[in-house]
Amino acid sequence: MTATTPSTATPFVRKDNASQRRLADAVATGLLWTAALGIVLLLAVFIGYLLYLGAHVISWHFLTAPPSEISAGGGIGPEIFNSFYILVLTLIFTVPVATAAGIYLQEYARPGLFNSTVQFCAESLATIPSIVMGLFGLIVFVQVLHWHFTALGGALALTLLNLPALMRVTQEGLASVPQALREGSMALGATKWQTIRRVVLPGSIAPLTTGIILIAGRIIGETAVLIYTAGVSVSPGRSAFNWNPFHPAETLSVHLWYTHSEGLVPDAVDIGNGSALVLLLIVLVFNISARILGRGLSRHFTGK
Amino acid sequence: MVGPVIATHSSRAHVQESIARGVLLAASAFVILAMAAIVVYLASEGLRLFFVDHISPLAFLGSAAFEPDSRSPGALAFIVGSLAVTFFAIVMGGPLGIAVGIFLSQLAPPRLGSIMKPAIEILVGIPSVVYGWLGLTLLAPLIRLHLGSQTGFGLLTAGIVLSIMILPTVISLSEDALKSVPVTIKEASMALGATRWQTIFHVLLPAARSGLTVALILGIARAIGEALAVQMVIGNSAVIPQGLLNPAATLTTEIVTDMGSAQQGSVLQHSLFSMAFLLLLIAMALITLVRWALKRSAL
Repeated sequence: MTATTPSTATPFVRKDNASQRRLADAVATGLLWTAALGIVLLLAVFIGYLLYLGAHVISWHFLTAPPSEISAGGGIGPEIFNSFYILVLTLIFTVPVATAAGIYLQEYARPGLFNSTVQFCAESLATIPSIVMGLFGLIVFVQVLHWHFTALGGALALTLLNLPALMRVTQEGLASVPQALREGSMALGATKWQTIRRVVLPGSIAPLTTGIILIAGRIIGETAVLIYTAGVSVSPGRSAFNWNPFHPAETLSVHLWYTHSEGLVPDAVDIGNGSALVLLLIVLVFNISARILGRGLSRHFTGK
Repeated sequence: MVGPVIATHSSRAHVQESIARGVLLAASAFVILAMAAIVVYLASEGLRLFFVDHISPLAFLGSAAFEPDSRSPGALAFIVGSLAVTFFAIVMGGPLGIAVGIFLSQLAPPRLGSIMKPAIEILVGIPSVVYGWLGLTLLAPLIRLHLGSQTGFGLLTAGIVLSIMILPTVISLSEDALKSVPVTIKEASMALGATRWQTIFHVLLPAARSGLTVALILGIARAIGEALAVQMVIGNSAVIPQGLLNPAATLTTEIVTDMGSAQQGSVLQHSLFSMAFLLLLIAMALITLVRWALKRSAL
């Protein structure tokens, strides 16, 4: 891509010669490559370092045992359970509402006050800091409704926080379905809803699934919003694995923060190292499975 | 010739159509309702400091003396702290993020691009506490060792952690912005003999200006709202920071530090809710700014 025309022909720089321009181009190219490879290297360092710190902590006992309040040797079993439990609850609320709102905005809504208000509110919701949403949850679920700290309250606060991302995923997924398919369906006499349900949604199932799993990977790492809604404790003893949505449910990411900043156990550093590694591994699994599943579904439903 | 086909929907299909439409509309309306509820509840708790405790907004925003027990909930130190870490995050993470965005949209060989996309997606997914943990165990010791800071905790450490955390946001948004520049403009520039870098710098970046602005604003929004990663490495000292290596506190970290022990109805609790309300207003202001930037570019 080197310039072949004489340097006087460039309209951009007045005093200029070809070798200088080529040098600047080479330097810039080098810097951009460095920046890009730097990001990949950074991620590799993070993964390597967390493995180095945490690999020796992980054992069957650590992954399944309940946490300990004051003595060493506590595990993270209930925390892992709570992380997935709250994730499932959150998805049960988020997926139907977000896909429905996304479908409405993409397929039905016309430009106007309602549409732009929904967009503004969705963008604002997406920008609200996690900790602020946590305090909203504290006001509504703990102070007004007197639920105290509950898994359900945590899941509902997380739902509000993640609705916009999933709405966006839905809208992008629907937009990727060719308009001709909709027209074909409508021309055959299908109603708009029939078209969406039988033609558009199946056509966008692959990006939707990928998007939901990626968002799930983010939900499982949310922390600040859960401290004031789901709490920083698990029930003691066997009942630590608790299916009751009205029980306090400390998740793994909250546990990592809590043991570091408020915990009393002597092996807090080990627990932190182990928890950080487990969280990273969960995120990696979510990302990889999103990709594999997305590819498979895309092949199955659209043949691409 | 046959006349135009008139679709004959069964009445059941018609009923389904209206039900579906109603349900979908309700879901969209829920988004408005949720946002309205958040504003109303946070305002009603966040304004108590001024209307129930009768503390002037000026004493809250303009004083750095944070002693809620003696009715002096000055939040200036936290506001300065928030602005400072956000500034460092965007100064360090902004240019780097845009550079990677340029790389992905203009230079990256497809094979490398297909490695970097998931890598960035993983960086988004890493929980903020894990970033905090990395800052705590990896970055803070380095800063303690090499920069002569006593603890390794402070503005600089928090700024660096945040700059990494906002990278994915800035990268993907600036990549999108640069990709949306019509390829013909780029080709015209190259055909006139400009090098690739001249084309990027003099043609693509100006053309994508509003999109890049949006990328930076949303990076700022992410940085100013981040709580736990910052709280783990900033040192949490409620004073206006005197230097880069000094411990400080931000609006978010102060909420995290004191909310757990604040008594319901106390001046301390009210002032923390006021800080949350302030953060909400900042978030909404940034979104308004984003919409303004996009509207201006559409003209």
